[in-house]
Amino acid sequence: MNPLKKIYQILLSLNTSLWLLLIITALFIAGAFIMPDNPGFGSIDIPLFDWLKRQNLESVWWLWGTIGVLSLLSVNTLFCSIDSIIKKRRVTHWLLLISPQVIHTGFLFMLLAHLLGASGSYHGEAAVAEGSAVKLSGGDILAIKNIEIETDDSGYLSGWGVDIEYNHSGNFTESARISPNSPFIYKDLNIMVKDVQAYPEAALLQVSRDPGAVWALAGSILFTLGILTLIALRMKMEKT
Amino acid sequence: MQILLASSFGAYLFALFRKEFIYAGVLLQLAYLLFRASELGRLPLVGPHDTIVFFTACAAAFSLPFGRLMKGEKAFGNIISVSSALFTALALVYEPRNFPLPPVLKTFWFETHVVLAFMSYALFGVAAVFGYLYLKAPQSLAETLQYKAVLIAYCLFTLSMIFGGIWAYLAWGTYWLWTPKELWTSILWIFYSFYLHARLRQWWAGRPAAVLGIAGFGVVMFTYLGVSLLMKSSHSF
Repeated sequence: MNPLKKIYQILLSLNTSLWLLLIITALFIAGAFIMPDNPGFGSIDIPLFDWLKRQNLESVWWLWGTIGVLSLLSVNTLFCSIDSIIKKRRVTHWLLLISPQVIHTGFLFMLLAHLLGASGSYHGEAAVAEGSAVKLSGGDILAIKNIEIETDDSGYLSGWGVDIEYNHSGNFTESARISPNSPFIYKDLNIMVKDVQAYPEAALLQVSRDPGAVWALAGSILFTLGILTLIALRMKMEKT
Repeated sequence: MQILLASSFGAYLFALFRKEFIYAGVLLQLAYLLFRASELGRLPLVGPHDTIVFFTACAAAFSLPFGRLMKGEKAFGNIISVSSALFTALALVYEPRNFPLPPVLKTFWFETHVVLAFMSYALFGVAAVFGYLYLKAPQSLAETLQYKAVLIAYCLFTLSMIFGGIWAYLAWGTYWLWTPKELWTSILWIFYSFYLHARLRQWWAGRPAAVLGIAGFGVVMFTYLGVSLLMKSSHSF
């Protein structure tokens, strides 16, 4: 048989998907036990691919392996989905045909999100006092105008509100209030407060950029829609 | 208030003799969680004590509709009763955590993430029981019900991961953290993705699928209790 055709058939096979899923499970299990020995995993502040290149292969081989196997799984998923649509388009109800493919597309979007994140994400932290500012890479300026700290009756920190001004390279300024679970998000930039200090009033700011975040959200929505539709259809089919 | 929990332990044991007692067990545990919620002013789902109670109540509650479909199969109800009693006893071993929540945990995303995760764990547990029943006496109903339980649990677990990711992005600026808990969560998700795809192949249907369903619950337990107790993680539970 033509070797190219053989490769095509392997990539089209559900057995290939099963093997790849098993290999990823095994690699992740290995990683879960190896990872705690490399504390660097807890403080990756540059793109993952750049960070991985600087690590000893001993502690990250499983992650390189996973990236390789996930690449194959992506191609396999894409081929299987296209093949399924072509083969079943006349015999299956269109929603039943399309739902698994929507789930697969959601999965591929999530992988793309991780790929984009691994290539271009970063994060940095800085302690900034009330009334002062920091200059970010690219020339943007982030200033803290006001910090409000809330405590409960027992003296526990119960919340905070930090008023910021974000100047886009000297062009225009935006004002926002950052509180827990409510960061300032501008394009793929996320500015949040990690911690606050009462005396003197200061905030530990974190600026992170993740170009994959939007794709992850889109993938999640597609995956959810696909799986809910599939379950609803199965339930409807059982009733009839 | 602990008397409610201790009583639920008794109710689950009595369910071995009269299956209606399982309703009492679920109601007592829900009442216990409601009391704790009103006392703390928050969702009582932080730490091993509360989460084990919630997990047990969910597993027992989910077993009720499935139990009706397994008419005449006493073993199903018995396994659920004994395991619910054992998990309740385990919950009683742990001290409840009564401290106020840190600000980042006070959000809809966190609460939904946790609730969905434990509901899915409970359904994966119910699926494992069906796997055991199939191995004991192969009948297609047990295998079909295992598949249904896994499918719904997988959907809930996926939603939990998505909600967790959204919460992490809002709370920490990233939807993914490199910790053993996140990795084991992915292992669990990939494992059940494997189960759902494997079942489409003739070779995996029946016994192998039943074994996978049981093994999957082992992964659930390690992700839930093993990782939290043995490894350093961003999750307390």
